[in-house]
Amino acid sequence: MSGRIGQAISNMLAVAYRQTLVLRHDRGFLLSVGFQPVVLLLLYGLGISFKPANVSWAVLDRAQSAASRRLIEDVQTTDYFQPPRHVASYAEARTLLRRGAVTGVLVIPQDFARDLERGRPQVQLLLDGTDPITAARVGGIVSQVATTFDTGRAPPRREGMVPIARAAGPIDVRQRFWFNPTLLDRTFFLAGLLGMLLTNLCLSSSSLGIVGERESGTFEQTLSLPITTLEIVLGKLIPLVVVGYVLLIFTTLACGLGFGLWPQGSWIGLLVVTLPFMLASLAIGVLVSALARTSAQAVFITVFFILPSFVLSGVMLPFELMPPAVRLLGVVLPLRWYQIALRRLVTRGAGFTDIIVPGLALLAIFAGLLAVIRWRLKPRLA
Amino acid sequence: MSRRRLLTLIRREIRATFRDTFTVTILITVPLVALLAFSFSLSSEVHGLRLAVLDADGSAESRRLVADVAASKWFVPVTIASRDEIGRRLRGGTLSAALVIPPDFSRTLRLGRERPQVQLIYDGAEALLAANAEGALGGLVAASGAQLVREPSGAGGVSVVTGVLFNPRLDGAPYMVAGVFGFVLSFLTTLITAITIVNERQSGTFDQLQVTPATGLEILLGKLLPLGGIFALDVVLMMLIAGFAFGVWPAGSAIFFILVSSFYLLVSLSLGLIFSATSNTPAEAVQRTVLFSVPLVQLSGFSFPIGNMPAVLRWLSMLFPATHYIRVSRGIYLRGEGPLTLLPELLILGLFAAGLVVLALRTLEARQ
Repeated sequence: MSGRIGQAISNMLAVAYRQTLVLRHDRGFLLSVGFQPVVLLLLYGLGISFKPANVSWAVLDRAQSAASRRLIEDVQTTDYFQPPRHVASYAEARTLLRRGAVTGVLVIPQDFARDLERGRPQVQLLLDGTDPITAARVGGIVSQVATTFDTGRAPPRREGMVPIARAAGPIDVRQRFWFNPTLLDRTFFLAGLLGMLLTNLCLSSSSLGIVGERESGTFEQTLSLPITTLEIVLGKLIPLVVVGYVLLIFTTLACGLGFGLWPQGSWIGLLVVTLPFMLASLAIGVLVSALARTSAQAVFITVFFILPSFVLSGVMLPFELMPPAVRLLGVVLPLRWYQIALRRLVTRGAGFTDIIVPGLALLAIFAGLLAVIRWRLKPRLA
Repeated sequence: MSRRRLLTLIRREIRATFRDTFTVTILITVPLVALLAFSFSLSSEVHGLRLAVLDADGSAESRRLVADVAASKWFVPVTIASRDEIGRRLRGGTLSAALVIPPDFSRTLRLGRERPQVQLIYDGAEALLAANAEGALGGLVAASGAQLVREPSGAGGVSVVTGVLFNPRLDGAPYMVAGVFGFVLSFLTTLITAITIVNERQSGTFDQLQVTPATGLEILLGKLLPLGGIFALDVVLMMLIAGFAFGVWPAGSAIFFILVSSFYLLVSLSLGLIFSATSNTPAEAVQRTVLFSVPLVQLSGFSFPIGNMPAVLRWLSMLFPATHYIRVSRGIYLRGEGPLTLLPELLILGLFAAGLVVLALRTLEARQ
């Protein structure tokens, strides 16, 4: 029995050695391993955010009073906005909105000063709802500025008030954002980045494996060897797992050194849970490779599997905001479970016990895929 | 150029495409899946988030506050006994937010000398979600508080009446649907064009065509016209799916949209030609297209707003034709824009198309 297992291991290592030699000469593979992590790290670390910035807006100031100008300045100094354009009429405001030239128009009515005296000041905000997230946020920012606007009647604002807390209203609401106090989108994206990179690596490298060898005829040659298909498949995956761990260390160090985002939880947990995730992703690649008839088809299927899985797993956009039926789909995606584990380990500082469930789910997905692959790859000669 | 020869070539191409079941499947399923996956994915609406409630006061007032928050359907309250448990659940990711009411809440409220305090804690790991939850929960607590205290406090403030144009319910689907057109027409069409041409070159049928009396231009047009026609059909198919499945119809002219999209196909077809001319195997062509298209998802404004990016990336995004097409597509679909207001973007797209067509012809000549 132990002899059989020893034989299987040495068979797999032999296949792994051969595969390493092949990978070393694969330019596309090297490019995607070396180039992609850097580009995505920079994009998600520095570029992409849902927090509004440079918002273009317009003002229809019918009051033309000192107070109205102060309100405009208060909005302007939040730093989310560009200097406002001034428009003279509703028609002009609508034209700008319709052209998409501005995201919002603040309308200050003629009796603004009088309403301030009476204590019922009101302004109007017209928003372009085309981009719903930006519209909602801009609306929130303007309302917040307006509710804390010093109308001159009120007692002066207290010192040291956190600007995000709502100052007005009868209840003093103290807000705190755990794990990410300034609510940077970067923290959200970079925690999931490793999942995206590993998905790309695992799927793109393993999906070409078998179909490519079938095309060139080397797969049939390996079938004639005293080795089982499962051993071939697993042996081919070993070098990719090693590359995956290199990628893990690179990404973690880059996020830590570059953006100060070190994993808050268990490092060992991170290393452990990555293995079943990589295996499951690689197995999907192998399955694609076994289903596709040409390598172009394999890449095709892979690409159009990767994109929805990014969206539906919650690495790019929050999972909780999707409708329940769509969320059910996420259960079968390895990236979904890995994403859960990553957010717990990297951002929330969870311990080893918090990743048992995602880890087991990943193992179950891997086992299921392996069974399908074994059935599908029964030795057969074309 | 002979019309008869061109027609024969077109007929041949259409037959070849429809005989290949894989391509036909891709042409139908990819737009469908992209529409399904993306149009559901973006939402600014908070719904059924788990909210931990730690009511240390237990008074009529505090219970009323909790009931007001629970009545909104935005949050599902879970009663929690201790602060430690909030911490544990937040770390485990089973909570989105927590509301903590201190023991002296109702007493402070009744005395009326100070404003009673409550604490809101959010899971910042889900940054976008936390930002949405903050807006919803903060508003609920403030509104409920205003009812608890009869007389309004003297703290100033201006109320804002917000009116949203073009998408009053701030629904994510129209925004994403209009973007998916850009994604599919840039990515899928380039990919399919590149693959079919490389495939044909590899199997030798391209060489066979070249020994027929057909000229190079005829062969090229015989290839691109039917492909363009098929992709234009895909546009109509997607419009119908978006309309019937998601209720998203263009606010502007549908015919104008189809015309602009068909014109944009020139860009994708030319890119496909260029990729095919510079690669030897189909896999290589795919690899090139994918490498080029990865930034497409991130930088074209398809999934992330361009306006929020740093200036360098904003400039970089202008170099992708897809960025301009997606703007036009959203303009027509959401704001109902016409040719006049979209003129600058359309001109830029025209420049891109002209440049890429010339480049594609050059590359092909160099190849032959």
